[in-house]
Amino acid sequence: MSPGRRKMLGAIVAVINVGIVGAIVGPVMGFVTSPMNQRGKKGWVKIARIEEIPDGRATEIRYSMRTKDGYHVVDREYSIYVRRDGEQVMCIDPACTHLGCRVEYQVDRDRFLCPCHGGVFDKHGGVVSGPPPKGLIRHLVKVEGGNILLHREV
Amino acid sequence: MARTPLPIKEHTISPEERADETRVTTHPEEELRLARPSLRDWLDLRLGWYGFVRKNLDEPMPPGVGWWQTLGNLLMTLLAFQFITGFALAMYYSASPETAYDSVKHINTEVPLGNFVRGLHVWGSTLIVMAVVAHTLRVFFWGSYKKPRELTWLVGVFIFQVILAFSFTGYLLPWDQKAYWATVVGTRIAATIPFVGDALLYLVRGGAEVGSLTLTRFYALHVMALPAALIGLMGIHLYLVRRHHIAGPVLPRRGKPVPFYPDQLFKDAVVQLVGVGFLVYLALAFKPALEAVANPTQVEFAPRPEWYFLGLYELLKIMPSGWELVATFVVPTGVTLGMIFLPWLDRSESRHPARRQWVIVTGIGIILMIGLLTLKGILETPPPHHSAPADLKATKTSDSS
Ligand code: FES
Repeated sequence: MSPGRRKMLGAIVAVINVGIVGAIVGPVMGFVTSPMNQRGKKGWVKIARIEEIPDGRATEIRYSMRTKDGYHVVDREYSIYVRRDGEQVMCIDPACTHLGCRVEYQVDRDRFLCPCHGGVFDKHGGVVSGPPPKGLIRHLVKVEGGNILLHREV
Repeated sequence: MARTPLPIKEHTISPEERADETRVTTHPEEELRLARPSLRDWLDLRLGWYGFVRKNLDEPMPPGVGWWQTLGNLLMTLLAFQFITGFALAMYYSASPETAYDSVKHINTEVPLGNFVRGLHVWGSTLIVMAVVAHTLRVFFWGSYKKPRELTWLVGVFIFQVILAFSFTGYLLPWDQKAYWATVVGTRIAATIPFVGDALLYLVRGGAEVGSLTLTRFYALHVMALPAALIGLMGIHLYLVRRHHIAGPVLPRRGKPVPFYPDQLFKDAVVQLVGVGFLVYLALAFKPALEAVANPTQVEFAPRPEWYFLGLYELLKIMPSGWELVATFVVPTGVTLGMIFLPWLDRSESRHPARRQWVIVTGIGIILMIGLLTLKGILETPPPHHSAPADLKATKTSDSS
């Protein structure tokens, strides 16, 4: 066999093998990584009526939302702090920005305390003391026809 | 059955055996044996089995090799146990949020020997982590990773990682509170990595939250990808161990190498017996735990990882504000890279600990740190007023204006 032919056939084998690997790896990668594409799809979710929220303090609201969990649809419960000052409504996420423990609202001090490592947040979620690196996360919210709507991923 | 001499005498000796000078081919009994092939000879002609077995049993052990060199074999035995019990458990297990917990409960309470088999698997994972750590430390202190065994070490480091991945993915499968919340926290670590963290979180969880797709993902990794990776890596590791032989003590001792069989094999067997005996004892004495079913809305739950991740968890807790990335990414990645490149970082000729002080001192420092943090985590009872992490993911992707 001439060296040229030998090289040629070797190259063809290499190309075929790359094609075979690509044929399996490509689709499987797409299949497996598909959840990354549904990232950040957001919508407005009704969480409460405005009159349910007392004025001048934060209130824990539990709302449930129909979510698609893979192959089945479930009603999941979530909770969030809603703070109302007159017409002003603010949604504060209960997850501590340190390690994610749930902060608790102290009505008398109008502050949020984290039970895990003593993080303290003020009434608007700003850090007062403790290890948390930044303030509690506030979600976009709007009031429409007396309904409080939360902007979150759906 | 009348044995007719068959003219296959030449073939029954593999070329390997022919080269083996210890073989006495001229012995009359041997001649007779070769002339009348038994089943063993028949098989040997086809498989070359004798040569293989002999070579491994005669593997030369340098003087000074002993009990410390039994850990690898113990680890293999425990992994084999894990493989078999895992296979058995998979026959009763169902990987879906609606059924996972009940199927594990069924194993625990109804399947005959279910508690025992699951106990072997659960305790086995703990013993495996202990054995792999001990094995790695032995190789580290003996400096056995030095030329020409760098790749043996490297493959070993990958095996270590695969074992940790096994444990992390397996932890979720029972779908109880502990499993669920540990995974919520554990996967959230991925989200702290700059730039790609968010995408990574979705990739690992199979969605925004720990749910059915997380469970199937972890299950697929646990029973398909990781075992395949482990078996492949172990094959390479063993091949390399045999190719370069056991390194022996740090300072070569006088004396002739002794064959692996019977002395070292005997020590191996004793250690295996003790290890397996202890495992069986644990499985019988301590029933594998199963807490309440995972409840994403019941947030009053203190998440705690498996004990061998407690060090990392504690590190995360003591990091000052804004330094989380150090605990979630910098330290684990640094330690892993340090392990991977150890043979190239430690370039001293000598394997003696005194001749490679900085490596030993750094190593002991890291081991002490991990040990102390783990101890702290074990001793520390969760605060009475404990809450579970509300899922940070929901917050991460939300507006924070
Ligand atoms: S998790 Fe809140 S202070 Fe650490």
